[in-house]
Amino acid sequence: MRSTSLRTIGVLVVAGAVVAWLQIREPAPPPWTESEVAVLRSLWLESLPALPADRSNKVADDPRAAAFGQQLFFDPRMSANGQIACSTCHQPVRRFSDGLAKGQAIGTSKRNTPSIAGSAYSPWLYWDGRRDSQWSQALAPLEDPNEHGSNRMQVIRVISSDESYRGQYVSLFGPLTDLADVARFPIAAAPGLGDEWDAAWQAMAEPDRVAVNTVFSNIGKAIAAFERTILPVSSRFDDYVAAVIDADTERQQLLFNDAEVRGLRLFIGEANCTQCHNGPLLTNNEFHNTGVLSFSGEVPDKGRVGGLPEVFADPFNCLGDYSDDPERHCPELEFARTGAELVGAFRTPSLRNVEGTAPFMHKGQIATLGLVLEHYNEAPDAMIGHNEAKPLGLGKREIRDLASFLGTLTPREQAQFDSM
Amino acid sequence: MIARPTIFLFAVFCAVWTIPQQAAFAHGGVVQEDDLCVIKVNYLRAHFKIYQPSVSGHEQFCEDLPAASESVFVMEYQHDALSSMPIDFRIIRDVTGKGRFARMEDVELIGDLDDITVFFQPAVTEPDVFTVVHEFLEEGDFIGIVTATQPDSNKVYAAVFPFEVGFTGVGYWPFFIGVLLLLQLQYLHMSGRLKRWFKGGSKGMAAIVLIVLVPFASAETFAGEGADLRVTYTTPAGPPQINRIHSWILHLETADGKPVESARVVVEGGMPEHDHGLPTRPRVTEELGGGDYRLDGMRFHMSGYWEIVVTVETDGGDSVVVLPLQL
Repeated sequence: MRSTSLRTIGVLVVAGAVVAWLQIREPAPPPWTESEVAVLRSLWLESLPALPADRSNKVADDPRAAAFGQQLFFDPRMSANGQIACSTCHQPVRRFSDGLAKGQAIGTSKRNTPSIAGSAYSPWLYWDGRRDSQWSQALAPLEDPNEHGSNRMQVIRVISSDESYRGQYVSLFGPLTDLADVARFPIAAAPGLGDEWDAAWQAMAEPDRVAVNTVFSNIGKAIAAFERTILPVSSRFDDYVAAVIDADTERQQLLFNDAEVRGLRLFIGEANCTQCHNGPLLTNNEFHNTGVLSFSGEVPDKGRVGGLPEVFADPFNCLGDYSDDPERHCPELEFARTGAELVGAFRTPSLRNVEGTAPFMHKGQIATLGLVLEHYNEAPDAMIGHNEAKPLGLGKREIRDLASFLGTLTPREQAQFDSM
Repeated sequence: MIARPTIFLFAVFCAVWTIPQQAAFAHGGVVQEDDLCVIKVNYLRAHFKIYQPSVSGHEQFCEDLPAASESVFVMEYQHDALSSMPIDFRIIRDVTGKGRFARMEDVELIGDLDDITVFFQPAVTEPDVFTVVHEFLEEGDFIGIVTATQPDSNKVYAAVFPFEVGFTGVGYWPFFIGVLLLLQLQYLHMSGRLKRWFKGGSKGMAAIVLIVLVPFASAETFAGEGADLRVTYTTPAGPPQINRIHSWILHLETADGKPVESARVVVEGGMPEHDHGLPTRPRVTEELGGGDYRLDGMRFHMSGYWEIVVTVETDGGDSVVVLPLQL
């Protein structure tokens, strides 16, 4: 009799403890408000508009150009040592990035390798926006001594000496300049690229230089036609937004745990992330100083204030002679802005697949997402210029929640480029 | 209980400490002014700061550096003239024997600087901000020499600042605090209170007064003086959206509804809450007639509160109208 009542008491105590635990346990996140749903929808991949036209590249949407560009993208023959291709740093298995602080090719490149996915949507390319189209960007690494380390003369010779390439080129762009006369077309030449190559370039007749530049720019346009097809892939986050829009709470719970929901709420609210990481690509493609420390052994990088004069000086820019747009409709370039607030400012990277792009920031200065979030939480004074971010005052758990949420931006299924 | 003279002494101490601060802590060309470390290259001034990112992260130093390590020197110009002047930067070991009182004259007495130079950045023109990086391999006394050359007159301006690497001192604080304590003890002793305390065991209370000087940044606000002018706008491509470059049609009319024509219109703007401007530099490209003006190159890169500042210049004078916009 006595033992039974003891057992009853025991059961009651345990039941009480369970009830108490349920009471003090974290309450389930509240449902999304109408305005929050609108914000979530604006970040949803399904909200991504159609690819913007590139009027400066007439083969931008030609599948034959994309196929040609794809071969060029993976071809190491266009490099100084025959071993570096675009894909050396923009690796398909890593969503077109390389997992390094700075790209490694012939030498070490200046900054962190960004992913190509969705870059067709950006008016600016590179961390400092020193190019204004995918095709003009694609030309720069070919002549960067630390990347492909080649020169335009050698690059176009790869096309003219390969029968398949020559055929594809001619069918897309018309007759290819005959480069056989070495007196007119030196083996190696490029403007401003070392004394020897520069001298060879300066010695060329102007019409021949224009002919070479035309072929060179067309190579960039073919590569860009391929790069335009590389788009962000939908993630668990996008499925979750679909479930939110459908008001399917059961599916929401299957897709996101409470920490991820709390992280998302911070992301679109208190943590101010969507000030810059907005739209379906989670970037505004604009330039911001966020007070990141300089890379060890280097002076602080000036970012956009250095990039803007470069894009204006680029002969392959939207206003230049090699654009295919007869109207030279270039509002981004025409209304581009510089000034003190762009000292130390860098282009906002997309957060799609952010987890897979470590290390972070323009020179890979920060190793983990947790440390990136702590940096934004502190928002320290910038070494040069002015840090736009304000301290957030988030707690450790909130930082963890944000990091959990960012993990949901990883593409669920591997992309079509895995086989490459 | 704090004895009244203590407060008095503290006030005196504060006054003594703050007044000669400039003299006491000015190492030649670099001075601590209010909250800002400033380098004076003759009459040209720049905000000066030094970082040791690998050991101290974002912490800023004005002159003395705590560790022999990688150090980034930053000069943010307060005079535009510096942005077009070739500037060179030299760090030498201090052989003047004058320590922190070394001046340009002392440096000039040294014959060959190259032998004692640990870092030299030849003259470069840096349009926005001047930065150099040097890794100190040993602790010790050093002198920094910044030289700027006026491109037209070839006049040379220089700033010299001695500094210590591996500086662990705490300045003059302990000395002052020591003096303060002695004075206080002296007072208590003289007034006999000390004796009474020891006898009566009454508990003295210590209070620490912390004076925190919060730097004040004066926020510039745009006042709308649009009483004599009304500005409205339409966006032909639909409501403004973030991350799209687009055009506006501005309509200007006087308070009594007459269209304003042949005006010079300048458009600026930004997010007052975020201290930044528009990401583009929009421009009125065409006057469409009837008080309408085409404004191209508008772009917003964040949701939130924006202010578009329209300055209208006519023969009748200038007016400024602020258009609030919530995105």
